[in-house]
Amino acid sequence: MADEAGGSGFNIHPMEQFEVVPLFGGHEVHWYTITNATLWMALTVAVASLLMLVGSRSRAHVPSRMQSVAESIYGFVHKMIVDVTGKEGAKYFPYVMTLFLFILFANLLALIPTSFAPTSHIAVTALLALAVFFSVTAIGFYKHGTHFLKLFWVASAPTLALRIILAFIEVISYFVRPLSHSVRLAGNMMAGHAVLKVFAGFAGALGLAGILPILAITAVYGLELLVAVIQAYVFAILTVVYLNDALHPGH
Amino acid sequence: MTGQGDQSGSEEEGGRTTEEPFAERLKRLEDRIAAARADRAEPPRRGHGEFTQGSLAWRMVIELVVGMLLGLAIGMGLDALFGTRPVFLVVFALLGFAAGVRTMLRTAEEVRGRRGEAALMGGRPETRDETRDGTGD
Repeated sequence: MADEAGGSGFNIHPMEQFEVVPLFGGHEVHWYTITNATLWMALTVAVASLLMLVGSRSRAHVPSRMQSVAESIYGFVHKMIVDVTGKEGAKYFPYVMTLFLFILFANLLALIPTSFAPTSHIAVTALLALAVFFSVTAIGFYKHGTHFLKLFWVASAPTLALRIILAFIEVISYFVRPLSHSVRLAGNMMAGHAVLKVFAGFAGALGLAGILPILAITAVYGLELLVAVIQAYVFAILTVVYLNDALHPGH
Repeated sequence: MTGQGDQSGSEEEGGRTTEEPFAERLKRLEDRIAAARADRAEPPRRGHGEFTQGSLAWRMVIELVVGMLLGLAIGMGLDALFGTRPVFLVVFALLGFAAGVRTMLRTAEEVRGRRGEAALMGGRPETRDETRDGTGD
């Protein structure tokens, strides 16, 4: 085993795992091509739906294991929204819950060896962040009309010229948020998975001493589990914070 | 705490034969209950303090960089549109930098109030003027 890898030195391709490849032959990826990304996103949706549907099916007073998992996720997300935005944010609960579950399960399924991590692609996370960006902006304009633009107008600045400059800065910083939001999620997932692959490459090349990288992989894997859950939480709570800005632009 | 509880326990065994005033026994029982409570009290939640700190630091860095890049992109775009090469680039690079700093400061404010993501850090918020500060613990 060590000889095979040792023949060509270190045999490490950490970025190979992020390649999008068509599942059913062919080499070109069109918008309708079913790829590994499609498969793993579909699996994510399937697993999340399965948990929530099976978990809520029996509606027992004494919950089964699955039901209590589903209930505690529900309660957790609901509390998160109500704590940040107050009662009026609660009606946007389904959206935040969907986002949270999708990212959580995409991250967790990506930890299965040989699987694919959709959330490590900026295309996926940017789409999620843009959806949040547009819906939050739309909610802001719908709720407050042109008053929503007060979010960008620093009335406490002394002169008009300064206020205009500050308005530019505020608008740009409003656009910074979805970008940084998506870069973070993708960056976190990609970095973790690449590190795992690099250590795995060491394990193959070192032979008996490969036990050390394997121990390191175990540790990094544990950390990745934490990252997977925390990144899902972070994405959801930032969504809620932006939503709060749209609901209460005065603050 | 436990020492005190043990002591009062052995005292009780020794003094069982002698009739004690009811109030004294009650007092001792209360002491023991208090000691047991103190023993069982959950330690303050550590949360994922250090991990979240690192994560927040990354967030600030990304926000700063993204702000600058966004400013540069807007400036280059406007220059290409109007054919005034360095003017908008310079102006919007500065504005973008300021926007990055502004976003970063907003995150710092979040950390100070333990709101949003920073609620994971545990600990108490430094400001108490907000009624909606985080999930708390």
